[in-house]
Amino acid sequence: MGFKDLRSFLSKLEEEGQLVRYSEPIALSPDWSDITRALPRMGQYGPAILADNLEGYKGKKIVAGVHASLANCALMFGHSKHTSLQDQINSLGKRWVAAGDASSAKLVWVENPPCQEVIIEGDDVNLYELLPLHRLNPSDGGFYLPKTCVVTKDMYSPDDIDSENVGTYRCQIHGPNTIGINISNMHDAGEHIAQAEALGVPMPIAICLGNDPMLDFMASTPLKSDESEYKYAAALGDFTYELTKATLSNLDVPANAEFVIEGEILPFERFPEGPFGEFPGTYSGVGKTCRIHVKRVTHRKDPIYSTIYIGGRSETESDMLLALNTCSLLYNQLRVDFPQVRAVNAMYQHGMTTIVSAKPRSPGHAKTIALRVACTPHGTDYCRNIIMVDAEVDPFNLTEVMWALSTRVRCEEDVFFIPSTPGLPLIPADVRPPLGRKLVIDATTPIPPDEFRPSKVVEPYQKSTDWRDTIAKIQQQLQK
Amino acid sequence: MKCLRCLRESADVVAKAPDGSGAWEVYYCTECNYSWRNNETEEISVLEKRDAWGQLDKVDFNQMRVNVYRAMKKPV
Ligand SMILES: [Zn+2]
Repeated sequence: MGFKDLRSFLSKLEEEGQLVRYSEPIALSPDWSDITRALPRMGQYGPAILADNLEGYKGKKIVAGVHASLANCALMFGHSKHTSLQDQINSLGKRWVAAGDASSAKLVWVENPPCQEVIIEGDDVNLYELLPLHRLNPSDGGFYLPKTCVVTKDMYSPDDIDSENVGTYRCQIHGPNTIGINISNMHDAGEHIAQAEALGVPMPIAICLGNDPMLDFMASTPLKSDESEYKYAAALGDFTYELTKATLSNLDVPANAEFVIEGEILPFERFPEGPFGEFPGTYSGVGKTCRIHVKRVTHRKDPIYSTIYIGGRSETESDMLLALNTCSLLYNQLRVDFPQVRAVNAMYQHGMTTIVSAKPRSPGHAKTIALRVACTPHGTDYCRNIIMVDAEVDPFNLTEVMWALSTRVRCEEDVFFIPSTPGLPLIPADVRPPLGRKLVIDATTPIPPDEFRPSKVVEPYQKSTDWRDTIAKIQQQLQK
Repeated sequence: MKCLRCLRESADVVAKAPDGSGAWEVYYCTECNYSWRNNETEEISVLEKRDAWGQLDKVDFNQMRVNVYRAMKKPV
Protein backbone atom coordinates (compact mmCIF):
# COMPACT_ATOMS: atom_id res chain seq x y z
CA MET A 1 0.00 0.00 0.00
CA GLY A 2 1.03 3.65 -0.14
CA PHE A 3 2.11 5.79 -3.08
CA LYS A 4 5.81 6.54 -3.19
CA ASP A 5 5.43 9.54 -5.46
CA LEU A 6 2.98 11.90 -7.09
CA ARG A 7 3.20 10.03 -10.40
CA SER A 8 2.11 6.67 -9.04
CA PHE A 9 -0.82 8.34 -7.30
CA LEU A 10 -1.84 10.17 -10.49
CA SER A 11 -1.83 6.78 -12.28
CA LYS A 12 -4.13 5.43 -9.58
CA LEU A 13 -6.43 8.44 -9.92
CA GLU A 14 -6.54 7.94 -13.67
CA GLU A 15 -7.34 4.25 -13.31
CA GLU A 16 -10.26 5.18 -11.05
CA GLY A 17 -11.62 7.90 -13.33
CA GLN A 18 -10.44 10.60 -10.92
CA LEU A 19 -7.94 12.37 -13.18
CA VAL A 20 -8.83 14.68 -16.06
CA ARG A 21 -6.10 15.38 -18.60
CA TYR A 22 -6.48 18.73 -20.34
CA SER A 23 -4.33 19.87 -23.26
CA GLU A 24 -6.38 22.76 -24.64
CA PRO A 25 -4.85 26.20 -24.06
CA ILE A 26 -5.55 27.66 -20.60
CA ALA A 27 -4.99 31.29 -19.62
CA LEU A 28 -2.94 31.58 -16.42
CA SER A 29 -5.09 34.28 -14.95
CA PRO A 30 -7.93 33.98 -14.23
CA ASP A 31 -8.65 30.61 -15.94
CA TRP A 32 -6.18 28.39 -14.12
CA SER A 33 -7.12 29.93 -10.76
CA ASP A 34 -10.79 29.42 -11.55
CA ILE A 35 -10.16 25.78 -12.48
CA THR A 36 -8.42 25.14 -9.17
CA ARG A 37 -11.37 26.73 -7.37
CA ALA A 38 -13.87 24.62 -9.31
CA LEU A 39 -12.39 21.19 -8.52
CA PRO A 40 -13.21 21.00 -4.78
CA ARG A 41 -16.77 22.18 -5.53
CA MET A 42 -17.47 19.14 -7.68
CA GLY A 43 -18.66 16.95 -4.82
CA GLN A 44 -17.48 13.64 -3.45
CA TYR A 45 -15.95 12.54 -6.77
CA GLY A 46 -14.27 15.78 -7.81
CA PRO A 47 -11.25 14.89 -9.98
CA ALA A 48 -7.67 16.14 -10.17
CA ILE A 49 -6.66 17.91 -13.39
CA LEU A 50 -3.34 17.50 -15.21
CA ALA A 51 -2.74 20.22 -17.81
CA ASP A 52 0.19 20.87 -20.14
CA ASN A 53 -0.80 23.88 -22.21
CA LEU A 54 -0.76 26.82 -19.85
CA GLU A 55 -0.28 30.17 -21.54
CA GLY A 56 3.46 30.80 -21.97
CA TYR A 57 4.34 27.48 -20.33
CA LYS A 58 3.30 25.13 -23.15
CA GLY A 59 4.71 21.67 -22.51
CA LYS A 60 5.14 22.13 -18.76
CA LYS A 61 2.92 19.90 -16.65
CA ILE A 62 0.80 21.26 -13.82
CA VAL A 63 -1.63 19.38 -11.59
CA ALA A 64 -4.31 20.54 -9.15
CA GLY A 65 -7.03 18.78 -7.20
CA VAL A 66 -4.94 15.86 -5.96
CA HIS A 67 -6.60 16.24 -2.52
CA ALA A 68 -9.71 18.07 -3.73
CA SER A 69 -12.33 15.44 -3.04
CA LEU A 70 -13.33 12.76 -0.59
CA ALA A 71 -12.83 10.14 -3.32
CA ASN A 72 -9.22 11.24 -3.96
CA CYS A 73 -8.46 11.26 -0.23
CA ALA A 74 -9.98 7.76 0.12
CA LEU A 75 -7.71 6.49 -2.67
CA MET A 76 -4.69 8.07 -0.98
CA PHE A 77 -5.46 5.99 2.12
CA GLY A 78 -5.90 2.83 0.06
CA HIS A 79 -9.69 2.75 0.50
CA SER A 80 -12.36 2.37 -2.16
CA LYS A 81 -13.17 5.76 -3.65
CA HIS A 82 -16.74 5.38 -2.35
CA THR A 83 -15.63 5.38 1.31
CA SER A 84 -17.62 7.87 3.37
CA LEU A 85 -16.08 10.75 5.28
CA GLN A 86 -17.00 9.20 8.62
CA ASP A 87 -15.40 5.87 7.68
CA GLN A 88 -12.25 7.59 6.46
CA ILE A 89 -11.93 9.54 9.71
CA ASN A 90 -12.58 6.45 11.84
CA SER A 91 -9.98 4.48 9.91
CA LEU A 92 -7.47 7.33 10.12
CA GLY A 93 -8.03 7.59 13.89
CA LYS A 94 -7.23 3.88 14.23
CA ARG A 95 -4.10 4.24 12.11
CA TRP A 96 -2.87 7.06 14.35
CA VAL A 97 -3.33 4.89 17.41
CA ALA A 98 -1.63 1.91 15.71
CA ALA A 99 1.27 4.10 14.56
CA GLY A 100 2.03 5.07 18.16
CA ASP A 101 5.23 7.09 18.19
CA ALA A 102 5.98 5.92 14.60
CA SER A 103 9.28 4.41 15.78
CA SER A 104 8.70 1.30 13.66
CA ALA A 105 8.19 3.33 10.47
CA LYS A 106 10.51 2.34 7.64
CA LEU A 107 12.77 5.02 6.11
CA VAL A 108 15.47 4.35 3.52
CA TRP A 109 18.00 6.71 1.92
CA VAL A 110 18.58 6.18 -1.80
CA GLU A 111 21.49 7.20 -4.06
CA ASN A 112 20.97 8.97 -7.41
CA PRO A 113 17.33 9.79 -6.61
CA PRO A 114 14.78 10.81 -9.25
CA CYS A 115 14.42 14.27 -7.64
CA GLN A 116 18.04 15.06 -8.63
CA GLU A 117 17.92 13.91 -12.27
CA VAL A 118 18.26 17.52 -13.45
CA ILE A 119 20.24 20.20 -11.60
CA ILE A 120 19.98 23.96 -12.20
CA GLU A 121 22.09 26.34 -10.18
CA GLY A 122 23.16 29.87 -9.46
CA ASP A 123 22.16 32.48 -12.01
CA ASP A 124 20.55 29.82 -14.24
CA VAL A 125 17.70 29.59 -11.73
CA ASN A 126 14.70 31.63 -12.83
CA LEU A 127 11.71 30.41 -10.85
CA TYR A 128 9.24 32.39 -12.99
CA GLU A 129 10.35 30.46 -16.08
CA LEU A 130 11.01 27.10 -14.44
CA LEU A 131 7.67 26.70 -12.63
CA PRO A 132 4.22 27.46 -14.06
CA LEU A 133 3.58 30.18 -11.50
CA HIS A 134 0.22 31.88 -11.25
CA ARG A 135 -1.56 34.37 -9.01
CA LEU A 136 -4.04 32.55 -6.79
CA ASN A 137 -6.10 35.55 -5.70
CA PRO A 138 -6.29 38.95 -7.45
CA SER A 139 -4.85 41.00 -4.58
CA ASP A 140 -2.03 38.58 -3.72
CA GLY A 141 1.33 40.35 -3.63
CA GLY A 142 2.70 38.07 -6.31
CA PHE A 143 3.04 34.42 -7.21
CA TYR A 144 3.01 31.95 -4.34
CA LEU A 145 4.02 28.31 -4.09
CA PRO A 146 0.77 27.08 -2.54
CA LYS A 147 1.55 23.38 -2.02
CA THR A 148 4.93 23.07 -0.34
CA CYS A 149 6.76 20.68 1.92
CA VAL A 150 9.38 22.92 3.54
CA VAL A 151 12.23 21.03 5.24
CA THR A 152 14.34 22.50 8.05
CA LYS A 153 16.56 21.00 10.76
CA ASP A 154 16.83 21.67 14.46
CA MET A 155 20.05 23.70 14.35
CA TYR A 156 21.08 22.43 17.79
CA SER A 157 20.76 18.75 16.82
CA PRO A 158 21.21 18.68 13.03
CA ASP A 159 21.62 14.90 12.84
CA ASP A 160 18.29 14.15 14.50
CA ILE A 161 15.52 13.15 12.10
CA ASP A 162 12.67 13.37 14.62
CA SER A 163 13.12 17.10 15.14
CA GLU A 164 13.61 17.72 11.42
CA ASN A 165 10.48 19.53 10.27
CA VAL A 166 8.40 19.19 7.13
CA GLY A 167 5.75 21.88 7.03
CA THR A 168 3.56 23.87 4.66
CA TYR A 169 4.43 27.56 4.75
CA ARG A 170 3.58 30.61 2.68
CA CYS A 171 6.29 31.05 0.00
CA GLN A 172 6.19 34.11 -2.25
CA ILE A 173 8.53 34.34 -5.25
CA HIS A 174 10.70 37.45 -4.78
CA GLY A 175 12.60 37.72 -8.03
CA PRO A 176 14.16 34.96 -10.15
CA ASN A 177 16.03 33.20 -7.33
CA THR A 178 14.79 34.46 -3.97
CA ILE A 179 11.67 33.50 -2.03
CA GLY A 180 9.95 35.27 0.86
CA ILE A 181 8.73 32.78 3.45
CA ASN A 182 6.25 33.53 6.21
CA ILE A 183 6.74 31.28 9.22
CA SER A 184 5.17 31.99 12.61
CA ASN A 185 7.29 32.01 15.76
CA MET A 186 4.93 29.29 17.09
CA HIS A 187 5.82 26.82 14.34
CA ASP A 188 8.66 24.30 14.36
CA ALA A 189 10.46 25.99 11.46
CA GLY A 190 10.20 29.26 13.46
CA GLU A 191 12.11 27.58 16.29
CA HIS A 192 14.77 26.53 13.78
CA ILE A 193 15.13 30.09 12.43
CA ALA A 194 15.44 31.38 16.01
CA GLN A 195 18.21 28.86 16.68
CA ALA A 196 20.11 29.81 13.49
CA GLU A 197 19.84 33.48 14.43
CA ALA A 198 21.06 32.77 17.97
CA LEU A 199 24.06 30.98 16.43
CA GLY A 200 24.48 33.71 13.80
CA VAL A 201 24.66 31.21 10.92
CA PRO A 202 22.73 30.71 7.65
CA MET A 203 19.94 28.14 7.93
CA PRO A 204 19.70 25.52 5.17
CA ILE A 205 16.18 25.05 3.83
CA ALA A 206 14.58 22.94 1.09
CA ILE A 207 11.19 23.43 -0.54
CA CYS A 208 9.90 20.17 -1.99
CA LEU A 209 7.16 20.40 -4.63
CA GLY A 210 5.10 17.63 -6.23
CA ASN A 211 5.34 15.15 -3.38
CA ASP A 212 3.64 11.85 -2.68
CA PRO A 213 0.12 12.63 -1.41
CA MET A 214 0.77 11.37 2.14
CA LEU A 215 3.67 13.76 2.75
CA ASP A 216 1.56 16.71 1.61
CA PHE A 217 -1.08 15.46 4.05
CA MET A 218 1.40 15.14 6.94
CA ALA A 219 3.02 18.52 6.23
CA SER A 220 -0.31 20.17 7.00
CA THR A 221 -0.98 18.04 10.09
CA PRO A 222 -0.08 19.69 13.42
CA LEU A 223 2.45 17.12 14.72
CA LYS A 224 4.59 17.74 17.80
CA SER A 225 8.09 19.16 17.21
CA ASP A 226 9.80 15.83 17.95
CA GLU A 227 7.52 13.83 15.63
CA SER A 228 8.83 13.14 12.13
CA GLU A 229 6.48 13.84 9.24
CA TYR A 230 8.41 11.30 7.15
CA LYS A 231 7.90 8.59 9.76
CA TYR A 232 4.19 9.29 10.11
CA ALA A 233 3.75 9.41 6.32
CA ALA A 234 5.38 5.96 6.18
CA ALA A 235 3.39 4.62 9.14
CA LEU A 236 -0.01 5.96 8.13
CA GLY A 237 0.48 5.15 4.45
CA ASP A 238 1.99 1.74 5.29
CA PHE A 239 5.00 1.99 2.95
CA THR A 240 8.77 2.42 3.09
CA TYR A 241 9.60 6.09 2.74
CA GLU A 242 12.41 6.84 0.29
CA LEU A 243 14.55 9.81 1.28
CA THR A 244 17.76 11.28 0.00
CA LYS A 245 20.19 13.94 1.19
CA ALA A 246 19.85 17.37 -0.37
CA THR A 247 22.84 18.18 -2.62
CA LEU A 248 24.01 21.24 -0.64
CA SER A 249 23.10 20.44 2.97
CA ASN A 250 22.38 17.77 5.53
CA LEU A 251 18.61 18.06 4.95
CA ASP A 252 16.61 14.93 4.18
CA VAL A 253 14.25 15.35 1.24
CA PRO A 254 11.78 12.98 -0.48
CA ALA A 255 13.78 11.04 -3.09
CA ASN A 256 10.81 11.04 -5.48
CA ALA A 257 9.72 14.67 -5.24
CA GLU A 258 9.17 16.41 -8.58
CA PHE A 259 11.16 19.52 -7.59
CA VAL A 260 13.48 20.38 -4.69
CA ILE A 261 14.47 24.03 -4.24
CA GLU A 262 17.61 24.24 -2.09
CA GLY A 263 18.71 27.44 -0.42
CA GLU A 264 19.43 29.21 2.84
CA ILE A 265 17.98 31.88 5.09
CA LEU A 266 20.47 34.48 6.32
CA PRO A 267 20.10 35.59 9.95
CA PHE A 268 17.95 38.67 10.63
CA GLU A 269 17.21 39.48 6.98
CA ARG A 270 13.59 40.62 6.58
CA PHE A 271 11.73 41.83 3.49
CA PRO A 272 8.10 42.78 2.73
CA GLU A 273 5.89 39.76 1.98
CA GLY A 274 2.14 39.56 1.26
CA PRO A 275 -0.70 40.03 1.05
CA PHE A 276 -1.96 36.50 0.50
CA GLY A 277 -5.59 35.33 0.28
CA GLU A 278 -5.70 33.07 3.32
CA PHE A 279 -7.89 30.10 4.22
CA PRO A 280 -10.54 31.98 6.23
CA GLY A 281 -11.35 33.89 3.03
CA THR A 282 -9.56 37.14 3.86
CA TYR A 283 -6.19 38.54 2.85
CA SER A 284 -3.25 38.73 5.20
CA GLY A 285 -1.47 42.07 5.40
CA VAL A 286 2.07 42.89 4.28
CA GLY A 287 4.85 42.27 6.79
CA LYS A 288 8.58 41.70 6.80
CA THR A 289 9.56 38.03 6.69
CA CYS A 290 12.63 35.90 6.08
CA ARG A 291 14.11 35.42 2.63
CA ILE A 292 15.37 32.22 1.05
CA HIS A 293 18.38 32.64 -1.22
CA VAL A 294 17.98 29.84 -3.75
CA LYS A 295 21.27 28.12 -4.58
CA ARG A 296 20.10 25.21 -6.64
CA VAL A 297 16.93 23.61 -8.00
CA THR A 298 16.88 19.89 -8.67
CA HIS A 299 14.03 18.14 -10.43
CA ARG A 300 12.85 14.98 -12.13
CA LYS A 301 12.86 14.67 -15.90
CA ASP A 302 9.60 16.04 -17.35
CA PRO A 303 8.56 17.34 -13.91
CA ILE A 304 5.00 17.90 -12.75
CA TYR A 305 4.28 21.08 -10.77
CA SER A 306 1.63 20.44 -8.12
CA THR A 307 -0.62 23.22 -6.88
CA ILE A 308 -3.67 23.77 -4.71
CA TYR A 309 -6.19 26.57 -4.25
CA ILE A 310 -6.27 28.54 -0.98
CA GLY A 311 -8.20 31.70 -0.24
CA GLY A 312 -11.89 31.28 -1.04
CA ARG A 313 -14.11 31.36 2.00
CA SER A 314 -15.04 27.68 1.91
CA GLU A 315 -15.04 24.56 -0.23
CA THR A 316 -11.40 24.86 -1.21
CA GLU A 317 -8.87 22.09 -1.72
CA SER A 318 -6.94 23.48 1.23
CA ASP A 319 -10.04 22.94 3.43
CA MET A 320 -10.28 19.34 2.22
CA LEU A 321 -6.58 18.65 2.79
CA LEU A 322 -6.85 19.89 6.39
CA ALA A 323 -10.23 18.37 7.20
CA LEU A 324 -9.41 14.72 7.77
CA ASN A 325 -6.23 15.21 9.81
CA THR A 326 -7.75 17.93 12.01
CA CYS A 327 -10.85 15.82 12.77
CA SER A 328 -8.92 12.69 13.62
CA LEU A 329 -6.19 14.40 15.66
CA LEU A 330 -8.74 16.27 17.79
CA TYR A 331 -10.75 13.06 18.20
CA ASN A 332 -7.72 11.12 19.45
CA GLN A 333 -6.64 13.89 21.81
CA LEU A 334 -10.13 14.24 23.33
CA ARG A 335 -10.54 10.50 23.73
CA VAL A 336 -7.50 10.31 26.02
CA ASP A 337 -9.43 12.02 28.83
CA PHE A 338 -12.98 11.68 27.53
CA PRO A 339 -13.80 8.26 26.07
CA GLN A 340 -17.41 9.52 25.92
CA VAL A 341 -16.53 11.42 22.71
CA ARG A 342 -18.00 9.68 19.66
CA ALA A 343 -16.93 11.90 16.74
CA VAL A 344 -15.43 15.30 15.99
CA ASN A 345 -16.29 17.42 12.97
CA ALA A 346 -13.55 20.06 12.59
CA MET A 347 -13.90 20.37 8.82
CA TYR A 348 -14.82 24.02 8.68
CA GLN A 349 -12.01 26.59 8.39
CA HIS A 350 -9.54 24.21 10.01
CA GLY A 351 -11.77 23.64 13.04
CA MET A 352 -12.76 27.24 13.75
CA THR A 353 -16.22 25.81 14.18
CA THR A 354 -15.95 22.36 15.73
CA ILE A 355 -18.86 20.04 16.45
CA VAL A 356 -18.35 17.23 18.96
CA SER A 357 -20.77 14.41 19.59
CA ALA A 358 -20.48 12.72 22.98
CA LYS A 359 -22.43 10.81 25.59
CA PRO A 360 -22.06 13.08 28.64
CA ARG A 361 -21.22 11.12 31.79
CA SER A 362 -23.04 13.43 34.20
CA PRO A 363 -25.08 16.66 34.28
CA GLY A 364 -23.07 19.49 32.73
CA HIS A 365 -20.36 17.15 31.50
CA ALA A 366 -20.74 18.18 27.84
CA LYS A 367 -19.57 21.66 28.81
CA THR A 368 -16.42 20.18 30.37
CA ILE A 369 -15.66 18.38 27.12
CA ALA A 370 -16.17 21.64 25.21
CA LEU A 371 -13.62 23.33 27.47
CA ARG A 372 -11.19 20.50 26.76
CA VAL A 373 -11.60 21.18 23.00
CA ALA A 374 -10.61 24.77 23.74
CA CYS A 375 -7.46 23.56 25.55
CA THR A 376 -6.11 21.14 22.93
CA PRO A 377 -2.95 22.38 21.19
CA HIS A 378 -4.92 22.98 17.98
CA GLY A 379 -8.10 24.22 19.67
CA THR A 380 -6.27 26.84 21.73
CA ASP A 381 -6.18 29.31 18.87
CA TYR A 382 -8.28 27.64 16.15
CA CYS A 383 -11.49 26.33 17.75
CA ARG A 384 -13.49 29.51 18.31
CA ASN A 385 -17.04 28.07 18.08
CA ILE A 386 -17.55 24.76 19.86
CA ILE A 387 -20.85 22.93 19.52
CA MET A 388 -21.66 19.87 21.63
CA VAL A 389 -24.28 17.37 20.46
CA ASP A 390 -25.53 14.03 21.80
CA ALA A 391 -23.82 10.79 20.85
CA GLU A 392 -26.82 9.89 18.69
CA VAL A 393 -26.34 13.02 16.57
CA ASP A 394 -23.96 12.69 13.62
CA PRO A 395 -21.80 15.85 13.78
CA PHE A 396 -21.02 15.53 10.06
CA ASN A 397 -24.71 15.66 9.19
CA LEU A 398 -25.49 19.36 9.52
CA THR A 399 -29.21 18.65 9.24
CA GLU A 400 -28.98 16.65 12.46
CA VAL A 401 -26.81 19.30 14.09
CA MET A 402 -29.41 21.95 13.24
CA TRP A 403 -32.07 19.71 14.80
CA ALA A 404 -30.06 19.55 18.01
CA LEU A 405 -29.56 23.33 18.03
CA SER A 406 -33.26 23.87 17.31
CA THR A 407 -34.63 21.55 19.96
CA ARG A 408 -32.05 21.22 22.75
CA VAL A 409 -30.43 24.60 23.36
CA ARG A 410 -31.60 26.82 26.23
CA CYS A 411 -29.74 30.06 25.64
CA GLU A 412 -29.54 30.98 29.36
CA GLU A 413 -28.05 27.62 30.33
CA ASP A 414 -26.27 26.24 27.30
CA VAL A 415 -24.55 29.16 25.63
CA PHE A 416 -21.50 30.81 27.10
CA PHE A 417 -18.42 32.55 25.88
CA ILE A 418 -14.89 33.29 27.01
CA PRO A 419 -13.56 36.69 25.92
CA SER A 420 -9.90 37.48 25.12
CA THR A 421 -8.54 34.00 24.53
CA PRO A 422 -5.76 33.14 22.06
CA GLY A 423 -7.03 33.48 18.49
CA LEU A 424 -5.83 33.86 14.91
CA PRO A 425 -4.82 37.12 13.26
CA LEU A 426 -6.77 36.20 10.12
CA ILE A 427 -10.32 36.54 11.50
CA PRO A 428 -11.89 39.94 10.80
CA ALA A 429 -14.35 39.45 13.67
CA ASP A 430 -11.47 39.50 16.15
CA VAL A 431 -10.41 43.14 16.25
CA ARG A 432 -7.46 42.80 18.64
CA PRO A 433 -5.42 39.97 17.08
CA PRO A 434 -4.00 37.63 18.15
CA LEU A 435 -6.70 37.83 20.84
CA GLY A 436 -9.80 35.87 19.99
CA ARG A 437 -12.79 34.50 21.87
CA LYS A 438 -14.55 31.20 22.44
CA LEU A 439 -18.22 30.41 22.03
CA VAL A 440 -19.65 27.20 23.44
CA ILE A 441 -23.11 25.94 22.54
CA ASP A 442 -24.17 22.85 24.44
CA ALA A 443 -26.88 21.19 22.34
CA THR A 444 -26.88 17.91 24.25
CA THR A 445 -29.99 16.73 26.08
CA PRO A 446 -29.86 17.88 29.73
CA ILE A 447 -29.35 15.16 32.36
CA PRO A 448 -31.30 15.51 35.68
CA PRO A 449 -31.18 17.45 37.93
CA ASP A 450 -30.52 19.73 34.95
CA GLU A 451 -33.98 20.56 33.67
CA PHE A 452 -35.75 19.67 30.48
CA ARG A 453 -39.53 19.49 30.06
CA PRO A 454 -40.57 15.85 30.32
CA SER A 455 -41.27 14.71 26.81
CA LYS A 456 -41.51 11.53 24.85
CA VAL A 457 -38.93 11.22 22.12
CA VAL A 458 -40.00 9.53 18.91
CA GLU A 459 -38.31 6.15 18.64
CA PRO A 460 -35.79 5.58 15.83
CA TYR A 461 -36.54 2.71 13.48
CA GLN A 462 -34.04 0.01 14.38
CA LYS A 463 -33.19 -1.20 10.90
CA SER A 464 -33.53 2.06 9.03
CA THR A 465 -29.77 2.39 8.49
CA ASP A 466 -29.45 -1.19 7.23
CA TRP A 467 -32.28 -0.59 4.77
CA ARG A 468 -30.71 2.66 3.62
CA ASP A 469 -27.48 0.82 2.81
CA THR A 470 -29.30 -2.02 1.06
CA ILE A 471 -31.34 0.33 -1.10
CA ALA A 472 -28.30 2.49 -1.86
CA LYS A 473 -26.41 -0.58 -3.10
CA ILE A 474 -29.22 -1.47 -5.46
CA GLN A 475 -29.31 2.11 -6.70
CA GLN A 476 -25.53 2.10 -7.28
CA GLN A 477 -25.97 -0.93 -9.52
CA LEU A 478 -28.61 0.96 -11.52
CA GLN A 479 -26.25 3.91 -12.01
CA LYS A 480 -23.28 1.88 -13.35
CA MET B 1 10.40 51.08 -14.47
CA LYS B 2 7.69 52.12 -12.00
CA CYS B 3 6.24 49.47 -9.68
CA LEU B 4 2.46 49.24 -9.95
CA ARG B 5 2.09 48.80 -6.21
CA CYS B 6 4.62 51.01 -4.40
CA LEU B 7 5.12 53.41 -7.34
CA ARG B 8 8.89 53.48 -6.82
CA GLU B 9 11.21 53.25 -9.83
CA SER B 10 12.40 49.84 -8.69
CA ALA B 11 10.71 47.32 -11.00
CA ASP B 12 12.19 45.51 -13.95
CA VAL B 13 11.52 42.67 -16.37
CA VAL B 14 12.67 39.41 -14.79
CA ALA B 15 11.18 36.71 -17.04
CA LYS B 16 9.56 36.00 -20.38
CA ALA B 17 7.28 33.12 -21.37
CA PRO B 18 9.67 30.13 -21.50
CA ASP B 19 7.90 28.49 -24.47
CA GLY B 20 9.02 31.36 -26.71
CA SER B 21 5.42 32.35 -27.44
CA GLY B 22 5.89 35.89 -26.17
CA ALA B 23 2.64 35.42 -24.24
CA TRP B 24 3.83 37.51 -21.28
CA GLU B 25 6.64 39.14 -19.37
CA VAL B 26 7.00 39.19 -15.58
CA TYR B 27 7.93 42.37 -13.72
CA TYR B 28 9.32 42.39 -10.19
CA CYS B 29 9.90 45.24 -7.75
CA THR B 30 13.00 44.96 -5.57
CA GLU B 31 11.54 47.38 -2.97
CA CYS B 32 8.10 45.95 -2.17
CA ASN B 33 8.62 42.53 -3.82
CA TYR B 34 5.50 42.77 -5.96
CA SER B 35 5.39 40.59 -9.11
CA TRP B 36 2.98 40.87 -12.02
CA ARG B 37 2.57 39.92 -15.67
CA ASN B 38 1.79 42.35 -18.42
CA ASN B 39 -1.15 40.23 -19.59
CA GLU B 40 -2.99 39.91 -16.27
CA THR B 41 -6.45 41.45 -15.91
CA GLU B 42 -6.60 45.25 -15.89
CA GLU B 43 -7.42 45.27 -12.16
CA ILE B 44 -3.87 44.00 -11.71
CA SER B 45 -1.84 45.33 -14.64
CA VAL B 46 -3.28 48.84 -15.12
CA LEU B 47 -2.44 51.32 -12.36
CA GLU B 48 -5.67 53.35 -12.63
CA LYS B 49 -7.82 50.23 -12.22
CA ARG B 50 -6.02 48.77 -9.23
CA ASP B 51 -7.79 48.45 -5.86
CA ALA B 52 -6.45 51.15 -3.50
CA TRP B 53 -6.59 48.56 -0.68
CA GLY B 54 -3.38 46.81 -1.76
CA GLN B 55 -1.34 49.87 -2.82
CA LEU B 56 1.84 50.57 -0.84
CA ASP B 57 2.83 54.00 -2.11
CA LYS B 58 1.68 55.67 1.12
CA VAL B 59 3.01 52.97 3.43
CA ASP B 60 6.16 53.51 5.52
CA PHE B 61 8.11 50.26 5.12
CA ASN B 62 9.93 50.98 8.40
CA GLN B 63 6.62 50.71 10.25
CA MET B 64 5.74 47.28 8.85
CA ARG B 65 5.24 44.30 11.14
CA VAL B 66 8.46 42.27 11.33
CA ASN B 67 8.55 38.52 12.05
CA VAL B 68 10.59 37.97 15.22
CA TYR B 69 11.76 34.56 16.42
CA ARG B 70 12.57 33.47 19.96
CA ALA B 71 14.07 30.02 20.52
CA MET B 72 12.42 27.77 23.11
CA LYS B 73 15.40 25.40 23.23
CA LYS B 74 18.89 26.10 24.53
CA PRO B 75 22.05 25.12 22.60
CA VAL B 76 23.06 21.54 23.42
ZN1 LIG C 1 7.07 48.01 -5.46
